[in-house]
Amino acid sequence: MFELLGNGIATLMDLKYLVPLVIGTFIGVIGGALPGITITMTIIVVLPFTFGLEPLQGLAAMIGVYVGGETGGLITSCLLGIPGKPSSVATMFDGFPMSRRGEPGRAVWLGVYASLIGGLLGAVVLVASTGPLARLALEFGPWEYFSLFILALSMVAGLVESSMVKGLIAGGLGLVVTVLGNDPVMGKERLTLGITTLEGGIPFLPVLIGTFAFAQIMSDIEKLGSEQQLQTEAAQKLNLAVSHVKVIWEILTRPFVLLWASFIGLVVGVLPAIGGSAANMLAYDQAKKFSKTPEQFGKGAPEGIIASEASNNANVAGSLVTIMAFGIPGDAVTAVMLGALTIHGIQSGPLFVTQNGPLAYGMFAAYILAHPVVLMILAVLMRWMIRIVTVPKSVLFPMVLVLCVIGAYALGNTMSSVWILLVFGVFGYVMVKLGFPLAPFILGVILGDQIEINMIRALMTDPDPMQFFLRPISGVLLLASVLSVAAAIWQHMRQQRRGGNLPQEADADF
Amino acid sequence: MSSERSVLGKDGWAGLVVLISSSVLFLLTIGLPDMPLVPVGPGFYPRIVLGLTAFLGLWLLVADYRLQQRHSAQARSSTSQSISNVSKYKAVVMHFSLFAVYIAAMAPFGFRLASFAYVAASSCLLDPPKSAKAWLRVLVLASVAAFVTFFIFERYLAVLLPRGRWTSF
Repeated sequence: MFELLGNGIATLMDLKYLVPLVIGTFIGVIGGALPGITITMTIIVVLPFTFGLEPLQGLAAMIGVYVGGETGGLITSCLLGIPGKPSSVATMFDGFPMSRRGEPGRAVWLGVYASLIGGLLGAVVLVASTGPLARLALEFGPWEYFSLFILALSMVAGLVESSMVKGLIAGGLGLVVTVLGNDPVMGKERLTLGITTLEGGIPFLPVLIGTFAFAQIMSDIEKLGSEQQLQTEAAQKLNLAVSHVKVIWEILTRPFVLLWASFIGLVVGVLPAIGGSAANMLAYDQAKKFSKTPEQFGKGAPEGIIASEASNNANVAGSLVTIMAFGIPGDAVTAVMLGALTIHGIQSGPLFVTQNGPLAYGMFAAYILAHPVVLMILAVLMRWMIRIVTVPKSVLFPMVLVLCVIGAYALGNTMSSVWILLVFGVFGYVMVKLGFPLAPFILGVILGDQIEINMIRALMTDPDPMQFFLRPISGVLLLASVLSVAAAIWQHMRQQRRGGNLPQEADADF
Repeated sequence: MSSERSVLGKDGWAGLVVLISSSVLFLLTIGLPDMPLVPVGPGFYPRIVLGLTAFLGLWLLVADYRLQQRHSAQARSSTSQSISNVSKYKAVVMHFSLFAVYIAAMAPFGFRLASFAYVAASSCLLDPPKSAKAWLRVLVLASVAAFVTFFIFERYLAVLLPRGRWTSF
């Protein structure tokens, strides 16, 4: 393992791979820091640039975006009080007050180093657990895969805050998208509705790009008139000088917060499609509960920044574990990576690590190296970051949408993918406006074919449907699915009994 | 604006749409022929999925209907609010329409011309230029989006972008 990892790092040090990694990380830092531009959108923008690259070059760039984005988001959270992305919201709670009381450098660098350490702790788990988990998954037959995918989907749908039914419907609609067009086992045409474009099925990348990009951009366009002006002038005058040794020491003297928050981030990352926004809030909440001075939280407590940032970077490692070991995307960003793998003809799933060893260890290496790269980029760029992140949206949004068009078009050099992009853009926006979560929908689109293929394979091997329940692993996974939905129902009912109104239109986590 | 209370809220209408569309698709699966090699036909799995979404749509519809009955006053206020918010969606509709025109224009005019016009128009809609400098910024942005991206993708990334049927450009 260590030899393979060493080879991976040596490969990544080659300029051919290092340059995409550095560029990707740089773009990620900027995208993560830009309020209103999430990492998902940044990676969607980067996607078409990877089509002409080798798989490892493209994936290194994407991993760079992911890691850079998670760290970049803290800058605007700390300095402007506006989270660059949903997974930096909790960083703002203490980062901004610390910045306002005259310690902006301390706030930002506490976050940067906590991200670095949390991310690297995540790397240990990523490298150590992906192989064994993939080997475990190799023992799975079609019954177990079917049940695993059902578990992933039911967990995501059940964890939706606003309405579990809406979460389940969103997941179901994702599955409906995959039944249109053709049967993935025999290739038989079905439910084309007379539309020629549907005959080959609906490609998932235009659906993903359209849904996420438009849902976010159009939601932002709605708010443009009422948006708070960024306090750029004041922020540009901030002095970010700080003793780095002191900041690192400050983090290392809080090992419990650091380790616990990283652990939370990892676990949340491994669970499909929950994402860093849940991880950072949960870690922040835990840090506050375990603190001897919880009253300091919200007033510039360093533990708040450390917990939030360590967790959201460790969350990246967790998401990578899920996609590399099981082929299930941990979130929208890894869903785009899955698309990139598909474009290059690489099959994700448990065989990925064994069949594509150099690529898998190259990805581990990219993840590890992206952290020091972020540090170097921020060391150089920090003083200009505020100026960069206040680029007007009238410049950003049209550019992003043009790149989305290129991304969709380049998949098959056909305009039908671009129309699919628009159709699902409208669909995604309407879903968000009606309070339907996007994560279960996308997971449904991604897993739909696999669920059907494994179900049919299982029935071809043994026509008895009870095998799904009688085989031990499959049965446990299905039981876990039922428990996950039941727990969500119980939680919602308890909340209703307490008189709490469930949020009908929660902030969408893109 | 009608002061009458709506029978259904947003969720109810969404549930109804899901129920109807799932049911229609479900009915379409009934005519699908079975395959000789597979124990279940191509309609088997879609029927499970569509049956599930139809059931969930019905659940959402009924839950919302009951909620509307219970909280008639709240529903009234939320209905009026949603009507008063219609104006904020004008910009969104305009941007979606502009994007649709952009895609439609790409086949006859080609990526470069269509993208140039789209980026310029979209940028002007988002932030109307009020000075010569602002107009210059729009032109530079549109040129970068159209011509620089085209050059990078075709020259370095081997991604061929559409030429115009009418313009050959």
